[in-house]
Amino acid sequence: MEILRCSQVTKIFGKGDNQVTALDKVDLSVEKGEFAAVIGASGSGKSTLLHILGSVDKPTEGTVTVDGVDIGELNQREAAIFRRRKVGLIYQFYNLIPTLTVEKNILMPLLLDKKKPDREYFDTIVKTLGIEDKLDSLPSQLSGGQQQRAAIARSLIYRPAILFADEPTGNLDRKNSVEIIDLLKLSNRNLKQTILLITHDEKVALEAERIITIEDGRIISDQRR
Amino acid sequence: MWKDYSRSYLKHNRAACVSVMAAAFIASLFLSLLCCTAYNFWAYELEKIVREEGDWQGRVTGAVDEDGLSVIQNFENVEKVVRNGDTVDIYFQNIRTIYEDMPLIAELLGLENGDISYHSLLLSRYLVHSPQDDEPPLLLTLYLGILLLVSVSLILIIRNSFELSMNSRLHQFGILSGIGATPGQIRICLLQEAVYLSVLPLLIGSLAGIGASFCVIGAVNLFAANMPGRYEAVFQYHPAIFAATLLASAEAVLFSAFIPAVKLSRMTPLEAIRNTGGLGLKRRKHSPLLSRLFGMEGELAGNALKAQRKALRISSLSLLLSFLGFSIMLCFTTLSEISTRETYFERYQDAWDIMVTVKDTAVEDFELAKELRNIKGIGELVVYQKAQGMAVIPKEAQSEELLALGGYEALSGETQEQVKAPVVVLEDESFLEYCSQIGVPQSLEGGIVLNQIWDSTDSDFRNRRYIPFVKENIKQEILFGLDGNGGKAEISVLAYTREAPVLREEYEDYGLVHFLPASVWGNISEQLGGGEAECMLRILAGQRDSLEELCSLEASVMEVLKPVYAAESENRIQEKLANDQMLRGMMIILGAFCVLLAAIGIANVFSNTLGFLRQRKREFARYMSIGVTPQEMKKIFCIEAFVIAGRPFLVTLPLTALFVQFAVKASHLKPMVFWAEAPAAPILLFGLVIVGFVALAYFIGGKRILSCDLNIELKNDALV
Repeated sequence: MEILRCSQVTKIFGKGDNQVTALDKVDLSVEKGEFAAVIGASGSGKSTLLHILGSVDKPTEGTVTVDGVDIGELNQREAAIFRRRKVGLIYQFYNLIPTLTVEKNILMPLLLDKKKPDREYFDTIVKTLGIEDKLDSLPSQLSGGQQQRAAIARSLIYRPAILFADEPTGNLDRKNSVEIIDLLKLSNRNLKQTILLITHDEKVALEAERIITIEDGRIISDQRR
Repeated sequence: MWKDYSRSYLKHNRAACVSVMAAAFIASLFLSLLCCTAYNFWAYELEKIVREEGDWQGRVTGAVDEDGLSVIQNFENVEKVVRNGDTVDIYFQNIRTIYEDMPLIAELLGLENGDISYHSLLLSRYLVHSPQDDEPPLLLTLYLGILLLVSVSLILIIRNSFELSMNSRLHQFGILSGIGATPGQIRICLLQEAVYLSVLPLLIGSLAGIGASFCVIGAVNLFAANMPGRYEAVFQYHPAIFAATLLASAEAVLFSAFIPAVKLSRMTPLEAIRNTGGLGLKRRKHSPLLSRLFGMEGELAGNALKAQRKALRISSLSLLLSFLGFSIMLCFTTLSEISTRETYFERYQDAWDIMVTVKDTAVEDFELAKELRNIKGIGELVVYQKAQGMAVIPKEAQSEELLALGGYEALSGETQEQVKAPVVVLEDESFLEYCSQIGVPQSLEGGIVLNQIWDSTDSDFRNRRYIPFVKENIKQEILFGLDGNGGKAEISVLAYTREAPVLREEYEDYGLVHFLPASVWGNISEQLGGGEAECMLRILAGQRDSLEELCSLEASVMEVLKPVYAAESENRIQEKLANDQMLRGMMIILGAFCVLLAAIGIANVFSNTLGFLRQRKREFARYMSIGVTPQEMKKIFCIEAFVIAGRPFLVTLPLTALFVQFAVKASHLKPMVFWAEAPAAPILLFGLVIVGFVALAYFIGGKRILSCDLNIELKNDALV
């Protein structure tokens, strides 16, 4: 079942002489339960693609459909609710709210919807991610690896249709990088979570079952392993 | 979100909360203090006018019978009609249309426009001016303008403190938006925070402002306690002021809280997440002056200031407004001080030593002149009474000089032949002395006409030139009463003169003043009417320079008068001292007000500069990472401080100079007289204090920046 489809997606930054085409008519489809990695050099347009798919940025042209919803048609409010319920986003620099405890940070998408968290599911996630003893800490009191685990927990809490991870290991040491990728694979396997991972690290990309290579804003190869 | 996010944010960011709360408190305190004190000064001024001249708004003089009274009463805009002898005082529901309604009322009553008059002083305090008045009094407007400038500046403080704390949070709101917070949720969250942080400080600040204003009024009463004729000001308050100050502050708070929400709605969550408070230029900019003067550091400082232009606009504006208010207020005070000195104290220096007002006594009934002249130390005594009459001066009676200027009509703007004829009734002995003074044979058979009119086309009010009013061939003149009953009296003109008796009096600009002996006035006063209820004693002392002598002489005079008459007295030196004391008090209060203005501007620039620096840690970390030395960083700080502090200076000084030029011209003062006393020192001092505080803010901010951890500050740079 197709969970993500993007057709002819183009993104142009700047105007006139300063115009830069970050994405050039990209077509992509991701099936439910898939763990795909987008790989490319710095400036190839991979992060731009992920941000557009995650509805935090808008394409200049083209359409993106996630779980049957054309996200280009959504207004600001609808897009926000869509991100909250359908998409999980993991950034390289975690983007946790510094004034909230780890627990509050994780539960934030549910709290925004005034929903009571499923305690059992929450416990499973935090135990799996190994941050059950850090729930009362502030982000600044955690290591980089622990902060990224909290960010993954936050992205999973709403059981999103798809999880986008933008260089999730880019700021971590090798040990923590391996652990984070293992956790993503675990959530893909156990929770049937669809994951689209962005990385420039080939070793990380090799952990995925599908590798999409992007160069100068175009997909140049798409291999299933 | 309040429970889950905001409470936690506020708990962990006490410094930001305290700065917002302090800004809300200080701004509402000063706003409330200013508005409340301004209201009290206005109310006092109004009460003074009402006490001295009555509270009527429009007045009809002449024969108005019961039918006429009912016509006025039934006029749509009329609220109340009060008959006072021969005059009818009219009160309007809406005084803004009084200058249109009164002529209509006169028309309905079949009266001439000359029969209606306006309480223009009282009306001007409500900013109602005659449409025919080309130069309406602008004092109140000026004060209102200054009040508005300062109020805007105060409101900007609140706006500024919110802007600073909110800007640094765009990143967080970007994260929230990224995980699904809707724009509405973020807006509500911001509003809740703003209300939570501001409600109490705004309320307490407003109440504290009222208390401070109460103290200011008390201080004014204390300083002016010895002012002759002054009554004590009673503190007043109107709920509308409370509502207005609170509303203005609350609006500023809500507006400021909405700004980040609006900003956020204009950017994608990604842009908001990327916002880390850093600076950026949209286009390549060049700062030729700064780079030529200071090299690369000048270029960097110039670009940073350009990139922050929007953020600095509020603080620059606020500083500019308070500096402008401060400078204009000081210049205006200096101008009015010079004006009072020149037009009153210096002008009447030799005209009096002691003035006594004898209540309810006509000059011909005053019987103690002889006893008073016998008091030791009295040099000269003039007893007189003032009255108002009219005279008919046809064109052919006007002097050649007056006709050459277009006649009475051209100078006064009046089209009628009837001119005001103020009458000064001198006690017989004083009148005979006056005859001798001007070289006219002494006689009590008629009056003397002060034959002069102000040539307002060729001279200003400060340096008046007078020309003869009438041809001097008429020996019998008819004075008309003002009551409209047709009362008139014929008087013989003993002489025409250009020299008035030395009295502390200012006469009508376009009136024909008559000096009559009391014995003549006694015969015509009943048919003419218009005499004032009191007579005046003007005394020149033998010893004019000693306060003790004057006080002792004043006491002796009152000792003679008190058993017989109700009288009030004042003496020149004491009045000057009281005036000086009042001026000192006024200067202290105005000085405090100016210091307040200065404090507002400086507080604003200080908080803004400090906040501005706090947001730029990463920018400076980048400079340091590429090898900019601490000395070069300090140079950048100095250049920025120099530009920030210098800009308001450069804008304010020419504007103040323009204001001074305008005010000096409008008050017909010689520019050099003003410039010799110009308040350059306090303005310069204020400027130096601004420079000092901006430098201090840069010193504190710079110290923090120079000691920051490069690694931490640069860590997030890889994000984009």
